[in-house]
This record gives sequence, C-alpha cells and structure tokens, in this order.
Amino acid sequence: MARMASVEADIRPRRKGRPSVAETAAPSLVDILNLVRTNRATTRQEIERQSELGRAVVADRLGTLAELGLVDESELGTATGGRAPRLVRFAADRGRILVATLDQTALGVGIADLAGSLLMEHHEASELTQPVPALAERLVTLFRWILERQANPPLYGISISVPGAVPDGGEVFFQRTTPAVLPGWDSFPLVETLAAAFDAPVWLRSSVETMTMGELHAGAGEGNRTMLFVKVGKRIGAGLASNGELFRGAQGAVGLIGSVPVTAGERSGTLEAMAGSDHIAQEGRLAAERGLSAVLADHLRRGGPVTALEVAQAAQMGDAAAIDILSQSGRLIGQVVATLANMLNPELIVLSGSIAQTNDILLASTREAIYGACHPLVSRDLQIVRSQMGSSSGLVGAAIVAAEGLFAPSLLRDWIMAGRPQAHPLFQQLKAQIVDRRTFEGNAVRPPDM
Amino acid sequence: MAITGLGPHGERASAPERVLLLPEDMARARASGFRVAVVLHTMASDWAKQQLSGIVGTLGNCGIAVIEVVDCAFTPDVQIEALDRLIGEAPDAIISLPVANSKVAAAHARVAAAGIKLVLLDNVPTGLLPGKDYFSLVSADNFGLGKIAAEGLSPHVPRGAEVGVLGYDADFFATNEREIAFVKWMQVNRPDVNLRIRRFSTLADAGLTTHALLAERPDLAGLFVVWDTPAIAAIEVLRALDRLIPMVTADLGRDAAIALAAHEPLVAIAAQQPFRQGETAASIVVSTLLGRLPPAWIALPGLAVTSANVVECFQTVWRMPAPREVLQKLSLVRTTT
Repeated sequence: MARMASVEADIRPRRKGRPSVAETAAPSLVDILNLVRTNRATTRQEIERQSELGRAVVADRLGTLAELGLVDESELGTATGGRAPRLVRFAADRGRILVATLDQTALGVGIADLAGSLLMEHHEASELTQPVPALAERLVTLFRWILERQANPPLYGISISVPGAVPDGGEVFFQRTTPAVLPGWDSFPLVETLAAAFDAPVWLRSSVETMTMGELHAGAGEGNRTMLFVKVGKRIGAGLASNGELFRGAQGAVGLIGSVPVTAGERSGTLEAMAGSDHIAQEGRLAAERGLSAVLADHLRRGGPVTALEVAQAAQMGDAAAIDILSQSGRLIGQVVATLANMLNPELIVLSGSIAQTNDILLASTREAIYGACHPLVSRDLQIVRSQMGSSSGLVGAAIVAAEGLFAPSLLRDWIMAGRPQAHPLFQQLKAQIVDRRTFEGNAVRPPDM
Repeated sequence: MAITGLGPHGERASAPERVLLLPEDMARARASGFRVAVVLHTMASDWAKQQLSGIVGTLGNCGIAVIEVVDCAFTPDVQIEALDRLIGEAPDAIISLPVANSKVAAAHARVAAAGIKLVLLDNVPTGLLPGKDYFSLVSADNFGLGKIAAEGLSPHVPRGAEVGVLGYDADFFATNEREIAFVKWMQVNRPDVNLRIRRFSTLADAGLTTHALLAERPDLAGLFVVWDTPAIAAIEVLRALDRLIPMVTADLGRDAAIALAAHEPLVAIAAQQPFRQGETAASIVVSTLLGRLPPAWIALPGLAVTSANVVECFQTVWRMPAPREVLQKLSLVRTTT
C-alpha cells in the first residue's frame, strides 16, 4: 500500500488554496454510495443517520449520484405512518463487468452487473498449456461476442480468475502489469492487452479466491461473515472470508493446504497426493483390477475410463470399495481442515469440486473428521455443506472482486466525479504506458477482430 | 461421438447411460404412484413432439402418470403462469424447457422451493444452480452441433469466401453454444473465411435478416443458420433471389431433410436426437424420484448428416421412414406418386 500511496502522490499535482467542490464532495459521495450499495442504508433518513451528514448535504450528494446514474430513487418503500419513503437503490445496471475463469482444462466467460449478478455465461474446453497469445486471443474473441449481445451499459471492469496465486499484496487496485502467475505470462502482457482492447481496468485473483467470494455472496455462504472454502480436485486448496472480506495473506497465497503432509496407515505424502482426485481415480482403477469393486470392474470391462467421478458414482450406488476410497480421502481432508477450523473458528465450511458436489460420502467423512477433531466451542454452531455453484462460483466471485475494487473508497474517490472508472488517473497512466510501449515495440500485440 | 461442449456452468457432460433404468428401478417406480408434469416451449414442431413421445413413453414404462403437458408457445408469461399453477397441483416432478432466461428464472426457482423435483431441457436460466434449483439438465451437445455444421460447410466454400452466420438474438444456451462453436471452428480451421454474423430476434425476422445480409454482401458464398425452421425461411429468400448458396444448419426437420437430399442449398445438417433426449429426461426424473443424485448435465451427441446418410439418420432421429420426397431425390423409390 505504501508503494501505491507514493504512485498516487506522483500523479496528483499538489493543490494550493481552497479545495475545489469536487474534492470536498468526493468523500461524502463515496460514503453515501457505499452505504446504499451494500444495503446498509435504503432511505434518505437512514443515510443521514449512518453517515452523520445533514439533510441538505445528503440531498445534494444523492442528486449528484443520480446524475451520475449510480443511484435510483424511483421506488417507494413501505410507509410506517405518514408518507411512504423513497427507497434509495444502487443502480447495479449502470455498468457491466466482464469475467472469466481460466482453468487447467476449461475457459469460462461471462458478464455481470455491478452487484455481481451474472447475466450470461459460457464455458468451453481449453488447454491452459496453449501459448498465452492464443489464450488471450480466444478470451478477447469471447469477450467481444458477449459485449455484442449485452452492449448497452458501459463496461466498468474486467476480472479474471486464474489457477495460481496472484502475487499482489492484498490491495483493491486493478492490475497495472501482468504478474507471472503462469509460465509464459512474464513475456506476454495479458493485462495490458485486455485493458487496451476493452478500455477497462483488469483484476486478477486465484481461482480459489474467486470461488470463495462467489460462494460467500451467491452460494452457500450468503449472509455469513466468516467462511472457510475448500476446493477438492486434482489440487486441494482453501480460501478464507474473514469479516465478509477475502483474506489474501502477505503474498496472495492463502490456503495452499494441498501441500500439507499427511499419513494414512503406512503411507504418507501431501494431502493432494493422498486425497486428491488423481489419487481417488488411481485407487478406483486398482480396486477394479483386483476385483474388489464390482461396479468399477464392470465399468472397466465396458471400456469406460475410471476417473474420480466414476469412483464417486460407484460409491453413491453403494459399492463398498469405492465408499472406502472416498471415506479415506474425506478423513484426510477433514483432519487438515479441522486444524484450520480450530485456528479460525469459521461459521461455515463449504466443500467444493465436482466429487464433493456429486457425492455424499466424501462430505460425510470430511464432516465426521472435522467435528471429531474440533474444539467443542468451534464445532458448536459450525455448518459444513457442499457447494452448489459449480464453475459459476468462480465467475460470480470474479465479478465481486471487481465490484469491491471499483467501489473501494481508495479507488472510488478518484473516479466518482467523472462517473466512470476509466477516468481514474492510474488507469489513464496505464493506458499512456501501453501506448508508449506499442510505439516502441511497433504494435506487436493486437488481437484480431471477430 | 465425443461430447465437445461444456455445460451451462462449466460441467463436464455425462452420458445418458448414467441414468440407465434397470428392471428393479422400474418396479420400484411402479409401486410408488408418481405424478409428473411436462412444460414445453412449443408442441408445434416435430422436434417437440418426438421429445414428448420419448418422455411420455419412458414414464409410462415405469408406471408414472403424466398429469399435464403445457404448450408455452415460446411465451415467458404463459410459462410462468403454467409453473405457478402446476405448483398448486403438487406433482412429484416437472420437466420444463425454459423459454427465456432471466424472465422465467424466478418461476422455475419457485418450483424447486415447493419441493417439486425439476428437470430442465435444453436451457438453464442464468443464476439457477444444479442441486439447488434443479436436478439436472439434458440437452444436445450444442457446441458439437455448431462444430459439425462448420465441418460440413467448409469443403463447399472457396478460399477467402464470405460466409454468413444467422444467429438467434436471445440469450438461450443451445443457440449461443452452436453459434460460438461454428465461429470458433471457422476461425481455427478456415482463417481465410470472412464471417458475417447477423441475428434475428423472432422467427418472422429470419427471412428479413437473410435478405438484408444478402443485399449487403452480394458475394456471400455460404450460410449457417442456428436451427432448421429459420433455415427454411432463409432458403425461401435464397430461392426468391435465385441465389442458392451452400447452407448448413442444426436439426433434421422434414423440410430440411428434403432440401438436404436435393443437396441444394443445404449441404450438411447437425442433427439432435429428440426422442432419445426425451427418454433420457424421463430416466433422470425416475432416478431422481428414487432418491439418486443425477449428473448436473447429460448431453447427447449430435449426428453429422449429409445427403449420403440422410435416410438412415432420419429414421434414427424420428423413428419413422424418411419423407417420400427424400427417397425420390435419392432415387430410392421408382414411382413419382
């Protein structure tokens, strides 16, 4: 944040004399907009009470916000004696956020309003190992396609969920460079390409972070403040929402619990290797070959591949060997998560990933291990549920990340008077840098039009 | 054929075999006296009729009563009214094809909230989640259909040609996927081709949109239309202008099969399997009612149809002989009566 402050000081000219109206109005505009946006105040009276601003100031600021199209006062509330109060609503339709999830084997794209509600989504198979320029080109093509279909409100931001920790120290500001999250990203300016192609600021977060935010705002976590999110797949990772916000740690690398060493019987290894979907699939194949699982052996005989999903399905059908495999995975995951729960005291633990979402046994054995190992005070009201959002949680969460970033007071105060986030001086600076680099490099990076 | 697309929330496709019913499942269902309602977008098309017969027949085999079949005539308000009325009827399950996106989302969510098991066909309103708001979606591999159509058209258009794409201007999972897949295949495999994308918002506009596109691009050398009914409207425009350029579409309707057999202007069709899709939807309902968790998305592969295999594909898809015009065009019958 210190680095950020110095950058801001660099770009803002030093002002002398009386502050301008824009300067004095901006802080109260920011406060009022965020009270309305987060539903903490829904009438003028509530805004006056919560913001401790006078009636005239509130009326003036709401007038400005209405002119900017960010609040809407057309709806009437319920009268509690006398005239019905006008409801002050956040105009979530004022702008749009483009979102994407990059996965090892799939690419998801969508568009959301400023409250993070998805309006459209599309997912397709895509190999993350393909060259970054090809990936960027596909992303740009799909984003253009979505904008063609949903063109009306202006674009406010872009937010991408990536399969790796985003090394950016806990700030709400958009990316101004492309971090080396994946191999090849250090040599291709993905963030700059998107910012230039769509004229909008770009946010990046790890997939477990966006899924945590999606689950907290639109899934099982709705209404909770402290939630632990556990994604079980080939990799096992966790995300933490603390006091309603994403906890990002020192390097944005929270929840890499897949590398915790665990022991089961005489074997030991990392949690991922001992309980992840690759392990489940491998154990399932062994059980089929050794004749321990009738269901999986039959599946194998018919030429079907035995993946973790087949093992989960066999367990659901009552196959004893498959039940054993998933129970063992669940127990190991539960042991590790119980340690986290004892430390963090969450209200809710959400288990996500296709196996956890389609199988009751993994959830049951994880629950058993967590409840068994938790302090009575921690487990007293603790709920452990499976996610029901699928890959959508990543898209919804990415939209929430951008919305929270756009309206964070530290960012909002520098664009609110212009009514569009593109007016933020740091974004203008980023665009100027992109133009400079293009001039220097001879316009090498230009995705084709659709 | 492998499924190439992903589900509406990025789900991996499951095969229809995942909900295969065994004799003991049918016996259990028969003993339970379940009641099911079906809500379709239309009953006017061959596709809808075939799908319905797959649903009703399979449910009949399991002793399940179909208490009502609603024709929504593509109208969201009709669908909302029907779903709310059916909630009062309290069937054990409802099979529905959502005719719109956000407009009908809340009504579908009310079905699930009332404890009625919901199975969707072809489309999921944005925001509804499997396992929470509905049990399963069954659809064709629409992404695969778009790809089949592109592969079918490619050999018929010269290098550097202008190719039209006639999409549907509604936020509908099935047609979105077909359009995206067609465009993607062309961009990857035929980067020389220039795609001109236009969209129609109602069936009545399909002909006008085609007309406008041809007026704008007189050099158009190929056309993809997202399903067969608007494709037939486009063919009429092409005929009227005497501009029969190679065309591809999805769905093997009767008129489309005839145009394909003539190899003019249709050169390939990516066909869905509505009867099998209906059977699968019914199997999902039975599995769900028996307490099993069905996969979030079951997809049926598309069939690549050309004039060479149109007769057998027609029989596979529709479970009836190909139209006489098709057989005549292919010289499979001798008389012309």
